[in-house]
Amino acid sequence: MKNPSSSSVKSRFTRRFLRALIKINRQKPSSSSSREIFLRYRRIRIAADKAMACVIGSRRAWSRAVLRRIKNQKRKRLADSLRRSNGIHGMKKMVAKEEDEISYEQENELRKLVPGVGAMDLCSMLDETAHYVMCLATQVQVMRKIVDFYST
Amino acid sequence: MEAIAGTGARSIHKAPEEELTALESLQFTDEIHLLMAAPPDSSSSFTALLELSAPQAVELLHLPESANLISNDSYKPTQMDDFKGSLHFPTDIALIERAARLSVFAGESNNKHSNSEKNSAETASDNSSADPEKAVKSEPAETEYSQPSGSDPTVHKKSVKRKEREKKAKGSAKKSKTAANESSDDAEQLPYVHVRARRGQATDSHSLAERARREKINARMKLLQELVPGCSKISGTALVLEEIINHVQSLQRQVEFLSMRLAAVNPRIDFNFDSIFTPEYMQATSLVDSNFPSMVMPVMWPEAQVGGNRQQCQQQWHLDILHQPGWEREEVCHNYITPENSLLSYDSSTNSATLHSSQSKMEL
Repeated sequence: MKNPSSSSVKSRFTRRFLRALIKINRQKPSSSSSREIFLRYRRIRIAADKAMACVIGSRRAWSRAVLRRIKNQKRKRLADSLRRSNGIHGMKKMVAKEEDEISYEQENELRKLVPGVGAMDLCSMLDETAHYVMCLATQVQVMRKIVDFYST
Repeated sequence: MEAIAGTGARSIHKAPEEELTALESLQFTDEIHLLMAAPPDSSSSFTALLELSAPQAVELLHLPESANLISNDSYKPTQMDDFKGSLHFPTDIALIERAARLSVFAGESNNKHSNSEKNSAETASDNSSADPEKAVKSEPAETEYSQPSGSDPTVHKKSVKRKEREKKAKGSAKKSKTAANESSDDAEQLPYVHVRARRGQATDSHSLAERARREKINARMKLLQELVPGCSKISGTALVLEEIINHVQSLQRQVEFLSMRLAAVNPRIDFNFDSIFTPEYMQATSLVDSNFPSMVMPVMWPEAQVGGNRQQCQQQWHLDILHQPGWEREEVCHNYITPENSLLSYDSSTNSATLHSSQSKMEL
């Protein structure tokens, strides 16, 4: 099984993201107006998410969900707020059976945060969360380096 | 992390042992080679393992032979009778070995055989990866296997991962040899869990399956604990989960703020592709994970206050962001206190919001 190590994830993400950044920055007529900067900010954010999701591809549920959301956003400009819930959405179980029983509240909270895990069982969702956290950390690290590089 | 991965890689690449009779164990040699052959990075060794071990840990959790393989690869077969009474494990053992530790064994003849094998596995893993300066801890689960093999002949149960097999295995205590053969056959095709009932616990298949599921969840939680900085000290699932949730939220917010900064900073500077890449890769391992989140937040807020041309931008964003729904936006909206238009109150409100979240984290 091919194992994309995180260093290759990082480099691939860097490449894609920088290419997108260059493309975004080519169109900068009136760059100092706040409206322009806001639009650029949104484009950059979408480019960052898209670059990361493209690197991961369809291997992970969260990357598929991110790509789907970006596609829908481009088409309809609506955020994809529909989440496939496994029926526990909104239910609160106050009594815990054992000490380290995971409460449904927290589980749903996590489901809201990680894209694409709405229909998963707890085990796979924890897997997805771990991978998502790793990729998010990589993304933040790369973006921070780029920002530092350009603000010096 | 690098040292461990390197050690693991070196130990795995020794010659496989002849005393392993199960055929599929040799098949898994290649998988383990692939697993360990990932180029270790200071930050990537664990995460490289993570990429595989999340699905693979499941398999490794369920395959006793692979557990033997991992450790036996690194140790001579003649030492099989060396049996230490107490089992030690380094705290920061590689992930796969931890997954191997978490797996449990069933079967009577497997009992003796697997006991000695497992014990040699433990000693092997102990010897192969034990550095004197590493802290050790003994797994309570493993003390099961230091019991004499003759004890509890009646509580051998095999509960399987696949539901159809679970129904077949319900309530049947298999003969030792057939259990051994069947387990070796099954391991080749399907992953399943050997669960051994502990003393004084129910042995019906429901509780066994429940226990297996619980162990899987605990394994994943441990993974997450390692991934999220500052979580390994926290005990209790609820607090750890809360920490994880906070961490994911903060990472998403950081992506947003960094892209804001990129949008504000970039117009002044031309891109130079080559100059980007070299400093990028030279500093690839400079960031320390544990310091990273705490470093980012305090650095970002003073920067946000300094930027002159950003003042109006942030006002604008402040209002525009509230109108944008989205995944990560939900908590962003909560953090911004609405009616203020001045820069300072905007920043201080978000600042205090993030400070509150970090304070609550620290109080935990």
